[in-house]
Amino acid sequence: MSFSVILSSMAEGMERSVGIFFLTLIFSLPLGFLIAFGRMSKNKLLQAIARFYISVLRGTPLMLQLMVVYFAPYYLFGFSIGNWRYPAIIVGFVINYSAYFAEIYRSGIEAIPKGQYEAAGILGYNRIQTFMKIILPQVIKIILPSVTNEIITLVKDTSLAFSLSYMEMFSIAKQIAARETTLMPFAIAALFYYVFNLLVSIIMEWIEKRMNYYR
Amino acid sequence: MKKQLLCGVIVVSLAAALLAGCKKEDKDSDNKDGKKTFTVGFDAEYPPYGYMDDNGDYTGFDLELADEVCKLKGWSLKKQPIIWDNKDNELNSGSIDCIWNGFTMNKRENKYTWSDPYVDNSQVIVTKTDSGIKELKDLADKTVGVQAASAALDVLQDKDEQKELADTFKTLQEFADYNTAFVELEAGSVDAIAMDIGVAQYQLNSRGSDKFVILDTHLNTEKYAIGFKKGNAELCKEVNEALHTLKKNGTFDKLAEKYELTDMVCLEE
Repeated sequence: MSFSVILSSMAEGMERSVGIFFLTLIFSLPLGFLIAFGRMSKNKLLQAIARFYISVLRGTPLMLQLMVVYFAPYYLFGFSIGNWRYPAIIVGFVINYSAYFAEIYRSGIEAIPKGQYEAAGILGYNRIQTFMKIILPQVIKIILPSVTNEIITLVKDTSLAFSLSYMEMFSIAKQIAARETTLMPFAIAALFYYVFNLLVSIIMEWIEKRMNYYR
Repeated sequence: MKKQLLCGVIVVSLAAALLAGCKKEDKDSDNKDGKKTFTVGFDAEYPPYGYMDDNGDYTGFDLELADEVCKLKGWSLKKQPIIWDNKDNELNSGSIDCIWNGFTMNKRENKYTWSDPYVDNSQVIVTKTDSGIKELKDLADKTVGVQAASAALDVLQDKDEQKELADTFKTLQEFADYNTAFVELEAGSVDAIAMDIGVAQYQLNSRGSDKFVILDTHLNTEKYAIGFKKGNAELCKEVNEALHTLKKNGTFDKLAEKYELTDMVCLEE
């Protein structure tokens, strides 16, 4: 196997890893808000559901959750799961990451002093306006470093899709390693992850700088 | 400015995700031309039966056989690499039609519906040439590696086979794949590996047959066959018949020769 074939096979795998990465972010970032609101809701039932959701999804390994999401339809309901592999991976990642994002959002929202809500009320803002125009912009600033952390973890976590036999980059690296009987593909895999995360952190740093408008 | 930036990021990520999504669909729709899809589950880290070829495509003795069967039946073949530990879940849940990948049938007779056996296999012990291990009894107080959920592990845990031998080991270390096991063997953290002889030969050819040695006494002899979900006799029969046709027209033996398995194949006409 020539070096260029190894690289192109792994790049193809990386494409799939990046697919998981973006789809997870697109769905889990908004879903996290929903859960954070549930978690902070005055409705005790909503709060209990959100607490339970977060505690289960943070308290069990992602690899296990992926297997449950993928195999449960068959073992619980007897459905044949022919084309469920990719959707199951995305669902598994999205629910797991939404739980973490929910707690990050909560930390940001609760960091805003109560006085700001009162001031906004006096100025005639309604609740939605207060949140969208006054609270949220500050929250985003506060939580950005934690979100960056989580996003970088997500890049590396995409390798867990191997447990559902999805051929993302790390699975490909393992197969090439088995064929060539060397460990060299793992060094390339490390480089792939590192470069991608370097890009992520450069972009996030840039966004952070842009948000630093009080300086 | 900030909004524009955010919009930009969102648009780019959506586009990337959509692209990734579309690509996947393209691959799936290849099989939607009315032909029956035959999904073979295999461990892609298991040369020479199933592995990646020079071009990064999946190949191997078993996969080429499966391909010939599909050509004969007019099916389209889908090669689905699986994690070996998950093979039963994959098969039972219907995400693969069969396990066809150097799959030992002995002691699993009642768990699957089996095709006729086509390869005579043995489980062997591989060790370093300079390890001083010459016979099975030299393995006492040694660390022995084995693939998780493999036939070799079954043999070593069966009272009627090699459990007695395994009890003399210091530890029986389970690995997910043989590549890692061999690295540990080279590094000295395991003293020997129990594995299928065909796979052992591939590893030795690739890593240098002067560095490793296969012990002369084999742990057992056993047979490979294609495993279908228990009760799926209909599909099993069809594949079985096709397999015999391939034997008759010489394709089977030609493939065995290509993968240097001629001494091991045992399918009767």
